This record gives sequence, C-alpha cells and structure tokens, in this order.
Amino acid sequence: MNETAATTLARPVAVHPERWMRKTLLGLGFCGPLLCLFLFLVLFPIAFMIYMGLDRDIYSDIFSDPIFIQTLWNTVIFVGVAVNVKMFLALVLSALFNVDHRLSRILSGLFLLPWAIPSLPGILAFRWMLNGQWGIVNKILNDLGFEGYPWLVRRPTALAAAIVYHIWKYLPFWTLIFVAGRRSIPKELYEAGEIDGTAPLQKFRFITFPMLRNLFMICILLSMVFTLGDFVIIKIMTGGAPGDSTHVLATLAYRYTFQMGKIDWGVGTFITALPITLLFIFILIRWVK
Amino acid sequence: MKRRGVLAWRAPWIAALCLGLALIGPGLAGVAGAGEKPKLVVWWNKGYYKEEDEGMQKVAEAFARENNVEVEITFTIQDDLGPKIISALIARRVPDVAFCFFTDWQIAPKFAWEGRLADVSDLINDLKPRYLESHMKTGWLFNKTENKWSYYSVPIEAQALGTHYWKDLVKEAGFDPDPKKIPMTWKEHWAFWKKVQDTLRKKDPAKYGKLYGIGMTSSSRATDTFYNFEQYLLAFRGEILSPDGKVVATEAKNREAIVKTLSFFTSIYKEGYVPSDALTWTDGDNNANFHNKTVVMTPNPSISIPGALFFTNKDAYYNKIGTILQPAAPDGKGYPYLVSVKPIIIPKDSKEQALAKKFIKYVLETKRFTEYVKASNGRWFPSFKDVGSDPFFNDPKDPHIPVVTNQFMKHETRAFYYSYHPAYSQVYTENVWGKAMSRVMTEKWSNEQAVDEAVGRIEQIFKSWK
Repeated sequence: MNETAATTLARPVAVHPERWMRKTLLGLGFCGPLLCLFLFLVLFPIAFMIYMGLDRDIYSDIFSDPIFIQTLWNTVIFVGVAVNVKMFLALVLSALFNVDHRLSRILSGLFLLPWAIPSLPGILAFRWMLNGQWGIVNKILNDLGFEGYPWLVRRPTALAAAIVYHIWKYLPFWTLIFVAGRRSIPKELYEAGEIDGTAPLQKFRFITFPMLRNLFMICILLSMVFTLGDFVIIKIMTGGAPGDSTHVLATLAYRYTFQMGKIDWGVGTFITALPITLLFIFILIRWVK
Repeated sequence: MKRRGVLAWRAPWIAALCLGLALIGPGLAGVAGAGEKPKLVVWWNKGYYKEEDEGMQKVAEAFARENNVEVEITFTIQDDLGPKIISALIARRVPDVAFCFFTDWQIAPKFAWEGRLADVSDLINDLKPRYLESHMKTGWLFNKTENKWSYYSVPIEAQALGTHYWKDLVKEAGFDPDPKKIPMTWKEHWAFWKKVQDTLRKKDPAKYGKLYGIGMTSSSRATDTFYNFEQYLLAFRGEILSPDGKVVATEAKNREAIVKTLSFFTSIYKEGYVPSDALTWTDGDNNANFHNKTVVMTPNPSISIPGALFFTNKDAYYNKIGTILQPAAPDGKGYPYLVSVKPIIIPKDSKEQALAKKFIKYVLETKRFTEYVKASNGRWFPSFKDVGSDPFFNDPKDPHIPVVTNQFMKHETRAFYYSYHPAYSQVYTENVWGKAMSRVMTEKWSNEQAVDEAVGRIEQIFKSWK
C-alpha cells in the first residue's frame, strides 16, 4: 500500500497545455482587478516617490533646515523608547493577565479601555491634563506642595509626554497579543519544569521566553513600523512645539508637503526613513518565513 | 460540467470587459455630459457663523440661476482647506475658484511664483476704484515662469492686530477700564498690564494666583506669533525686507531692532507676565485663555474674541470686553499696521476661468459683499471703501467694530513681507520668529544668537528661491 502511494506521488502529473492556459487566464481574470489596484495604488505611488526622491538637491535643502536633524533624533528617540518600553511592559503584564483568576479577567477588561478610546479625544485630554497653567497634573503637584512644571513647554518632557501617551494607548493591544502567545505554550512544558524543580524566573527564562521569542520579535518589528508612521500623537499633543523641537519625520513631512506646498521635501523626508522602514520589513519577512 | 467549462472560458472576458468599462467609463460619461450646463467648482472657507455660509450659498445659487450655470460650492474649515488647495494645485486637479483664510501667506505667493494661478489683472482693474490701496497691492505677485509681476489673487477682506482686555478685571485691580484711559505709550502700556496682574494676584492669590497680565502668543504653532512679532518690529523701527524684496535684516540698524523686538517678547515671558504655555499655543489658544479669564489682555489679529460672545453673552460683548489698538512706538511715534488680506484665487488649470471671474465679480458687488462681510460680525474688514463705509462698520454703540474701522480707514496700513517677495511666505510657514522665541525661552540662547539664527535662515530661504 505504501509502495503504491509512493509510486503515485512520484509519477509526473500530465499538464494539458490548453487546460493550463484556461486555468491561468481564469486566475488572471479574477486577480486582474486587484492586481491593477495594487499597481496603481501601491507600486506606482512608491515608484513615483522614489523617482521624485532621486533629485539630490532635495536632501541638501532639507538637511539645511535647522529642525531636520533634530527631527531625525526625535524620531529615533520616539520609536526606540516607545517601542521597547511598551513591549517590555506588555511582556511583563501579559503574565499577570494570563493568570486564571476572576480579578485578572476584570483587570484585563479594564486594561483594554485605552486601546478602545478614540485617539483624538484621548490626546486632547492628555494635553489638557499637562497644561502648565490649569492642568490637573500641576494642580495635584501644587496640592501636594510641589511647584508645577510646564510639561509641554520643554522639549524633553513634551517628547516624553507623547511617548507616555503612545505607551498608554497601545500597551493593551500588545499585551493581549502576548497573552494569546503565552496561552499557546503547551502546559506540559511547565509541568515538566515543575517536576525538575524550576523556579518561576527559570520557567520564564527557559520555557516562556524561548517559546515567545519569535512572536516577540515580530511584534517589535511591526510596532516599529507602526510607530515610525505615527503622525497623530505628535501632531495633536505638541504640534512640533516648543519651537518645532518635537517634530518627528511623519509630522515634518506633512508640514513640508501640505503647509509649505513642497511635495519634494515631503518625499525626501519619507525617503530618509525608507531604508530603516525597509530594513524592518525585510527582517520581519525573513523572520516570518 | 459543460456549463462550468463555459463559465471558465467566459470569466476572463467578463472580467476584462468590467475592467475596460471601469477605465473608459469616466470618458464616456464626459462625452454624454458634453451638452450640459457649464459647471463652476468653488471651494470656500467655512465661516465662523452659519450666516456667512448661508449667505454665500444663496449668492452662489442666485449666480447659477441668473447665468444658467451650475455652481458646486463646498465649505471647509481653513485647517483642512489650505492643504486641500495646495494638494489640488500640485496635482493640477483644481477648483475654479478658491477662497481660504490661509491663502494670503501660505498659497498665493508660492503658487503665483510657480505660475499656477490665473492672472486676474482685468478683474482687479475693474475693482480698482473701490479698493483700499494697501489691500489691493497684496494681490500683486511675481510669476517666475513668465518672469513678470501681475495680479494673481483678488483681495477681499482683511485683519490687523488689535488688543482685547477684560474691563472687569482691570476695574477690580483698581484702574479705570475705559479704553481711553489705558496708557498708550509703549513703556507705560506694558507696565500697566503687569501692574494689573501684580495687583490682582496680591489681592486674591487663591482666585488670581494663575492669572497672567499679557496673553502674548509666542508659539511656533500659531500664525498669531508672526503677526505680533512683525507688528512690534515696526514699532522698534526694524525691517526684514526692503520694498524691492531684498533681505535687509542683517543691516546693523535692523538687526538691533530685531534683537530689541525679540527681547521684548522674551522678557515679558521670563518675568512671568505671559503664561508659560503660550510657547505651545495654537491660534485658538489665546482666544480660549482670554475667554477663560486666565489672561487679562491679549493682542489678536481679528475681533474674533469679542465676536464669539456676541450671540451668547451680550453683557460681555458690550460691557466687559474692551478693544484698543496698539500703543505708540518706544520712540513715541506711530507706526503702520500690518494688514493680512485674504484673497480669492483662480487656478491656472481651471477650465472655467472666464466664468470664475464673472462669479467673483458677482460676489464682490457692493450690496452683496456688504451683506456677506457683515455676517462675519466684524471679524473681517472689507477691502473695498464702499463696503467699509456701511453704517455697520461705524456703529457708535458697538465697542469693537468701529475701533477696527478706525484702524483700517484712518491709520497707515501696509502689507506683510510676502507681498514684497514670495520667499517670505516660507519664512512665515516655518515660523522663524516662534522658533527664535523658543530658543531663548526654553533653550537659554541669548536674544542675539536666536536672531542671528533666524536671520541666517531667512537668507538661506531666499537663496533657495532663485
């Protein structure tokens, strides 16, 4: 029986050219509209953007803008800090929400709320809370006998506020992903570990993290790509203020393109970030494979 | 089985046919619609009051009826309309008429320079006898592609810097709140607002502990910042550009004036008379802070602040808010008011340019335009003498609008620098003065360093506009 099956599998399949042609045409017919959309809405704009970005003068112009280098740094800080802190906290918190207890289930439900709140009112509320003159944060500080602080008026704290909001907003989503990841780890591994007498930290080091490693890396890369393109938080929270010192590439590109009418500068700004974005995507695809 | 085979053969052709129809469909629709009425697409800035939009909608409908044409008019707020017009001009898929409050500094100079706006000299010549001259001049822009100066925008209404203050707060501080009694010499004027803050804070720390005397917008996010800065720069006798569009900011006299102006802004901030968050304010934030009574006074380039309370709080409008003009210069003399004039543009790619000009002329007809501007409740002052002489703008019972009328009709006015050279529109968009203020206030630069950086940037921008 096995031998017969092997023979059947090994036999070359006879492909009728007419039938192959018919099937291919049918497939192309169905995929055609989608391919056309992909071509016009994705490939063509990217190719056109790269074509526009070939002009070297753009880069000398945008690099001569005093805020451009600072914006690059802001982007690195925003993405680097926000993604890493968020992912670390998500990994830690996922352990808490993975506990099978009623309180844990209630807490995880509440914890998801920031993710469900629409961005705009959330950011505005955060901005008002941090207002130096009448914000609630300074009010609490004053009531406790401390001096208030102009949070959004200093670059480090304004950027930190945007990062804190980003973490607050997106932490629940990534925590949920890690909870799902933890639940897919076979319980037998932990049982075997318990028989061997492993301590909780050892369980994390030798079972949980190795099993979550792939998921963790994919989440980090995906989050980096999302955060790099995050426009709304900075735009609404600081608008680049004080003195255009808190822009990130996404808000600066918007400013160049839609406020200054310099589409080439906007393209140049995105192209500056393109190698890093492509690198993330490339690593991501390799990892998934 | 046979039916499935037939379907399999037909499917690609059906799909190809659908695709083909999708691609050529719009063209066929165009052919089918060739016999229809001409259509005018108008993008108009959404007004602050519904009466403005309703009025303009009625004007558009009347124009369509009288001329047997179709007018498609849409109203959009300026923050969205500005980017929309810029995108349309870049993509060359344009409306026939566009009017946005940001056009004067963000759109018209740059796109006239690039040759993307229609020449409207014929229209301006027709309207010339009615125009306030300083307003009309702002439509005179340079087209680099044709290497000529001409009228590329139709100025219609304007704003200039005034000051609003809470009379009741001034009174509570023990001073006479009558607008005629507010000190109007430079030094005394600013000392007065400081005194009001100090007195109120001392009188009732719990209530006024966080009240500020001066609501001076100092942010790189707000256009108000450069209104304020360049208006007071004139008070310090400084110039950035010469009338022929050359950068003169580096000349010793001008550099000194710029440093003095920046020092004025940074000192009132550092002394604690301006809210710290003024460095992050948007254009609406000084209005909000004033309405919340967290500042005693605020300079503002329109009378939107009392105007916002006209329908909801007549007592505040008529009795509690005062409106005055700017104090005399530090040398004791007067100085011109900068006017930001809002124009209508016709994109060069518009296929209905003649109809667009006819529409603009129709809108600007004296009676019709008077009604439209009046609906803005005095926020804008008309660019036409006949409209400005309407009793509405001179009502002695109104404490705000006649002050503005006086400013436009009886004082010297002049255009912002983008009328001298379109490159300056980029200086505004980059808000170099907001940046300079932030350098001093948050990064501890000296005023001189910040001015040198700002002026250096201006020179750099001008070099790139060759």
